[in-house]
Amino acid sequence: MLSFSRDHKVIAKQFLALGLAFLAVGGFMAMLIRWQMAHPGAPVPLVGHVLFGASGGIISPAAYTSLFTMHGTIMIFFAVTPILIGAFGNFCIPLMIGARDMAFPTLNALSVWTMAAATAVLTASFFVPLGAPSAGWTAYATLSTAVGTPGLGQTLWVVAIYLNGTSSVMGAVNYITTIIRERAPGMTWFRLPLTVWGFLMTSILNALFVPVLAAGMVLLFFDRVFGTQFFIAGSTIKGGGDPILYQHLFWLFGHPEVYILILPAWGIVSDLLSFFARKPAYGYRVTVGAFCAVTALSSLVYGHHMFTTGMSPLLGESFMVLTMIISVPAVVLFLNWLGTLWRGAMRLDTPMLYCLGLVFTFGVGGLTGLFLADIVADLYLHDTYFVVGHFHLIMAAAVLLAIFAGITFWFPKMFGRMMNERLGKLHFWLTIVSLNVVFGLQLVIGYAGMQRRLYDPSVYDFLRPLLPLNQLISRAGFVLGAAQLIFVFNFFWSLWRGRVAGENPWEVGTLEWTVPSPPPHHNFEELPVVHHGPHELGNPFVRARLGRDWLGQNEAPELAAPPPARSDEPEAAEPEVAS
Amino acid sequence: MSAPAIRREDATTTVGMAIFLGAVAMLFAALFFAYAVMRAQAPAWPPTGQAPLPAGTLGLNTLVLVAASVVLHAARRWDVARARRGAWVALALGAGFLAAQAAVWRSLVQAGSGPASGIYGSVFFAISGFHALHVAGGLVALALVAARGAGPRRLAACTLYWDFVLAVWLLFYAGACLR
Repeated sequence: MLSFSRDHKVIAKQFLALGLAFLAVGGFMAMLIRWQMAHPGAPVPLVGHVLFGASGGIISPAAYTSLFTMHGTIMIFFAVTPILIGAFGNFCIPLMIGARDMAFPTLNALSVWTMAAATAVLTASFFVPLGAPSAGWTAYATLSTAVGTPGLGQTLWVVAIYLNGTSSVMGAVNYITTIIRERAPGMTWFRLPLTVWGFLMTSILNALFVPVLAAGMVLLFFDRVFGTQFFIAGSTIKGGGDPILYQHLFWLFGHPEVYILILPAWGIVSDLLSFFARKPAYGYRVTVGAFCAVTALSSLVYGHHMFTTGMSPLLGESFMVLTMIISVPAVVLFLNWLGTLWRGAMRLDTPMLYCLGLVFTFGVGGLTGLFLADIVADLYLHDTYFVVGHFHLIMAAAVLLAIFAGITFWFPKMFGRMMNERLGKLHFWLTIVSLNVVFGLQLVIGYAGMQRRLYDPSVYDFLRPLLPLNQLISRAGFVLGAAQLIFVFNFFWSLWRGRVAGENPWEVGTLEWTVPSPPPHHNFEELPVVHHGPHELGNPFVRARLGRDWLGQNEAPELAAPPPARSDEPEAAEPEVAS
Repeated sequence: MSAPAIRREDATTTVGMAIFLGAVAMLFAALFFAYAVMRAQAPAWPPTGQAPLPAGTLGLNTLVLVAASVVLHAARRWDVARARRGAWVALALGAGFLAAQAAVWRSLVQAGSGPASGIYGSVFFAISGFHALHVAGGLVALALVAARGAGPRRLAACTLYWDFVLAVWLLFYAGACLR
């Protein structure tokens, strides 16, 4: 686990271990935040005196600020990014396109170790004078400059984010090059599994927009360490910096970032819905088009995060219209999912349950985004819990469900054993119900006017009646947190005690299921030659010939074709496979 | 390895390098964007009372960077032994550029025009400093390539990268250092 391996499958597991560990840390922080919202100023039970001994077990305002800062930072950059992109991307791309490894294996190893260095720097930031970073996960200037947040902690945060971005760009260079150059013979663009399309689009956005965040971090670093003045407003005579510039740099990255995180989830779900509905994905090419359209548009909408910064109304309205337009491909994608499910021969295995849960939460989360895209509504909802509920429904709920779906689906291929179905289903139901209570009610309290990042809402008269709702959210949050222990137990139990998986336990046709579980060092004994799309399911001719409803992408081309007509006409020539 | 396999790897390296340079280009584009915003918002540029940058000295440094690029381009057409010597020469020129930049920074700081002296110093030190880091990274890569015998594929990748840092510097020099 700690070796400098250049095997993409080992690197995937390293990313997975790192990401899951930080997912647990970030989740624990969420529990502490919810405790404070339900019982403001009360000592935290069990762990309070260990973690907050100096304040008698109570979360102090400074500690609370650090908590939500680090919760957001860890979840986005150090949990979801390494699991979804690092682990699944690394594991799936070479296996699914029929390659022996990534195009640049050494760079791949450097990517995971750069991520490890970033986590080390971030962890160190907890233990320095003046404490952990506390400028919010967005680290807006001037709060994040040495003026607003003095101390080494915030500087280490900047370094950690820069290193994290470097790791992401290394991964993106590798993923894009691998998908362009290393596809197996016959693996044409429109035979790629949608998962791979998702990773391709994510990688393009990573390569283009993570560097913009990096530029922001460079300037913030110079401001903090060398006393430059990019983000500190200057005098009218000498000119000077502009705090709003930071927001431009941050959101120019930050909005593509939400698509960076959701595109792999979309890809995985688009494939899995087809696999478990035992039908080809509905509108495969349209789905690919929707991915591309979202990717292209995602860079043109970031201004909707800045409606309240006093931007020109013309600019604001342009961003509003573009944001509304980006929901069109998203809805097309959503309808394609429903089309895939329509009259499918559903198999409700755990991965499918997670996917169906994602379809639901993504639907709700996406619709609430439209309120925030609208300038008039946003002026009211900006910086309230409505925003928190909205992005958690997508970035937390939907993305996490995709992560659970991906882990349960590829677990047998990664580790050679199945995860336990019964525990998986219990985990799913507890998770889906509690997370919708948590994030759904956050929409409600946000609509009622409760601002995010408040240390103690009860200081405001008009927020005091929301306390019971906040307590309900917290209770549901604790159920959500406790339910994850089932997943942790299931993960480790299945690692050693799970049912041994065969080559293809889910009976699907993509290339990773044509090799042993777990796959050998160079994946394929012989490079596969691809003849079919990724969703060759429910084909009646295949059923008639082979007695099964699926066909491997590398199986003989004539298996999927209709039987030759029973006339004396000569048989049509087999189509040549492009190589 | 057979000849087609090597050509295939060449193309893969080029694709990867192009994507990487695209990413770094976005980074510098964002830095230049920041510079543009600072400059557009300032009442005068360079700000009133600000000593000008030593454009002449910086121009000489620019020529050193150009020379390194010329040597690398020539080395790609030379035989292996000579190409290796060429790589070391380019390396020395690159190191010379860094040393000369450091001298400029030092004299500016001593004259009271350091990074903390105002927005003019902020822009120059942040962008030239970050550019120098990329030159330094290129030097490390070049040293590794030269030490391993300066094979044509690796040398080509180094040359591409060198042209890129040169282009970034020329843009910055023209846009920020010349009046």
